[in-house]
Amino acid sequence: MKSILIGGIGNVLLGDDGLGPYVVRLLESQYDFGHEVELADLGTPALDLTHRITGRHGVILIDCIASDEYSPGTVLLYDKAALLSAIPERRLDPHSPAVSECLLTAEMLGASPEHVWVIGVVGASFEPGRPLSPIVRAALWKVVDAIGYELKRLGVKFEKRLQADEFGVWWAEESGSAAYTSS
Amino acid sequence: MAKRITIDPITRIEGHLRIDVEVDNNAVSNAWASCTMWRGIEKILRGRDPRDAWMFTQRFCGVCTTVHAMASVRSVEDALKLEVPLNAQYIRNLILIAHALHDHIVHFYQLSALDWVDVLEIPKADPAATSKLAESLSPWTRNSRNELKAAQDRVKAVVASGQLGIFANGYWGHPAMKLSPEVNLLAFSHYVQALEYQRKALQVVGILGSKTPHIQNLTVGGVANAIDLDSQSALGMDKLEMIRSLLDEVVQFVQQVYFVDVCAVAAMYPDWFKIGSGVKNYLAVPDLPLDSRGSAYDLPGGYIHNGDLGGVKGFQTASDTVFRQAVTEDVMHAYYKGEKPLHPWEGETEPAFTGWEAEQKYSWVRAPRYNGEPAQVGPLAQVLIGYSQGHPLTKKYTDMAIEKVAAIGGVRATPAAMHSTLGRHAARAIRACMLAELAQKHWQRLVDNIAKGDYSVYNQPVLPSHEVRGVGTHEAPRGTLSHWIVIKDEKIKNYQAVVPSTWNASPRDHAGAHGPYEASLLHTPLAKPEEPLEVLRTVHSFDPCMACACHAFDASGRKITTAKIL
Repeated sequence: MKSILIGGIGNVLLGDDGLGPYVVRLLESQYDFGHEVELADLGTPALDLTHRITGRHGVILIDCIASDEYSPGTVLLYDKAALLSAIPERRLDPHSPAVSECLLTAEMLGASPEHVWVIGVVGASFEPGRPLSPIVRAALWKVVDAIGYELKRLGVKFEKRLQADEFGVWWAEESGSAAYTSS
Repeated sequence: MAKRITIDPITRIEGHLRIDVEVDNNAVSNAWASCTMWRGIEKILRGRDPRDAWMFTQRFCGVCTTVHAMASVRSVEDALKLEVPLNAQYIRNLILIAHALHDHIVHFYQLSALDWVDVLEIPKADPAATSKLAESLSPWTRNSRNELKAAQDRVKAVVASGQLGIFANGYWGHPAMKLSPEVNLLAFSHYVQALEYQRKALQVVGILGSKTPHIQNLTVGGVANAIDLDSQSALGMDKLEMIRSLLDEVVQFVQQVYFVDVCAVAAMYPDWFKIGSGVKNYLAVPDLPLDSRGSAYDLPGGYIHNGDLGGVKGFQTASDTVFRQAVTEDVMHAYYKGEKPLHPWEGETEPAFTGWEAEQKYSWVRAPRYNGEPAQVGPLAQVLIGYSQGHPLTKKYTDMAIEKVAAIGGVRATPAAMHSTLGRHAARAIRACMLAELAQKHWQRLVDNIAKGDYSVYNQPVLPSHEVRGVGTHEAPRGTLSHWIVIKDEKIKNYQAVVPSTWNASPRDHAGAHGPYEASLLHTPLAKPEEPLEVLRTVHSFDPCMACACHAFDASGRKITTAKIL
């Protein structure tokens, strides 16, 4: 298993909830990463996330956030301590959000990754079949920068390709180009 | 005066199961099951190429990805009357079995065992005595004193940390918890081991499907796996052997651990064979086809009305005409427009949200009905339908379970006892044993068929321009799943997914009949109504998954206040 995971979480059929998988596609098409990095579109993995994170050195998850507190488009970073401080809710079904729960399971197993971040953007619209909303799209460069910043702290090599691959996602029409500019 | 309790675990996040019960004299007197988020994903399929639909449907839910992919390709194949080559059937069957074994293991250990097992009693257990007890129950080799001691130390470490971590939210010390410290420890050590074996089952899905959680190898008309026995990249002997060895390990865990643990829990909580029955109409579809046309199956289907096992009606095929004609969806108490119950091919998805109103509309889940009545789906339905038709494999493991429970606890369960909360757990373990045996059978059939020189995996679909309709079914881990498709001018004209959890979590219908969750909760005794553990036991026994009934989006930020704003 590769020691670093960059995982996109979210449902691609529900507008801004597809942010995580979208960012993974974006990174795949524009960057080269060291051999220790795995990029994965995880969909909405619930408890199976445990298997994806145990035994890794570093995990960066990209996710869309539902929040009453912050306005749409806000980019938020949660570190491991913050995630561990969230007490899991009692489960009625297996699908409830499970990032903290899987991390706590990994802790119990003694196989928790040393570094974990969730990088999230507060979503604006979760309408089925729609592309990312303009306000979330406008925040993409911050997400990519944040991923780059944490990778550098982990000492992981990556570089932007001179010639990006053609970019597209199969699940939604792109409105305009996929362009975002990294600062 | 009845008091109402709402169990809505994630109040701020939409898309979850919510249960409301009225409690009178420490027993449930009324119940409502609802889902809190709008479901309308099917609408985005209209106008698309039917051959692409499975890519979208497998994103309905992150837990049940493959099942929606499979039902979708089958719906198009049914509409086109397209046969599927034998190799493709076996490869699909192996994926479905591996996925289901993973799912059943996760369900028992990670999602419901701690309703019966008190983690905080574990530090009191004697690992040596636990190991001795385990040896009397099963030949499993990982029940040694050392292995049990290690599991106990994990619990002690979490408790010593001052916070309960992953165990922070259980009803520990609840009066309805009855197991000895040793049994608690044994079950918990298997909870930890279960994480390993569920992962092995997922690896099988990954090898055959080329990726998890979203498989890539499906196509309308077959699968996209290239078969070449000498190749390492195609499906060859290397990969097949890897699959066999993973399956063997999972099979052993299911038969020697999961099945035994369920029987032990059942033997020690015999009252729960009398609680949680509810709707006794049962529905299952045949699955695991054995030929290219889908005329013979390894899992039987049919319908049982009002608990009359002798009157079971079997289905001949997975898209049996009787089944096709019997299904409707009722929106009387669901947040959708519409008056009459509609057949899924005519189904509409127009929202009409009103807010939760007990006597009016209260759920985003529609109410599927079979001949106008609610039906319970899932492993219990499948086992009862198979057992009452004399299906040998179902009978083998059901009888084995009855013997095992009797041997451990001295209680002899009857078929009537299966209409219960424990019956649902027992049936799932029975089904897992059946699937485990079938995994090895279908692996062998695939290898034998390839050895004959048949490398075919795909029949080309031809889309007609006139209108055609199809139904694709799958007996998924949570029960009968059906995707209903109408194709016209080579495009999808209508698409409806009637998923297992909508059958079971359905709200009342125009006749006022409760859905299965609701009915199963009536009369449940509650030892401590402010901690409704008994309600959770029954709801969990169905293995609810509301994600495809309604989507939930992740909101990691919900209770975390230490986010850094970038």
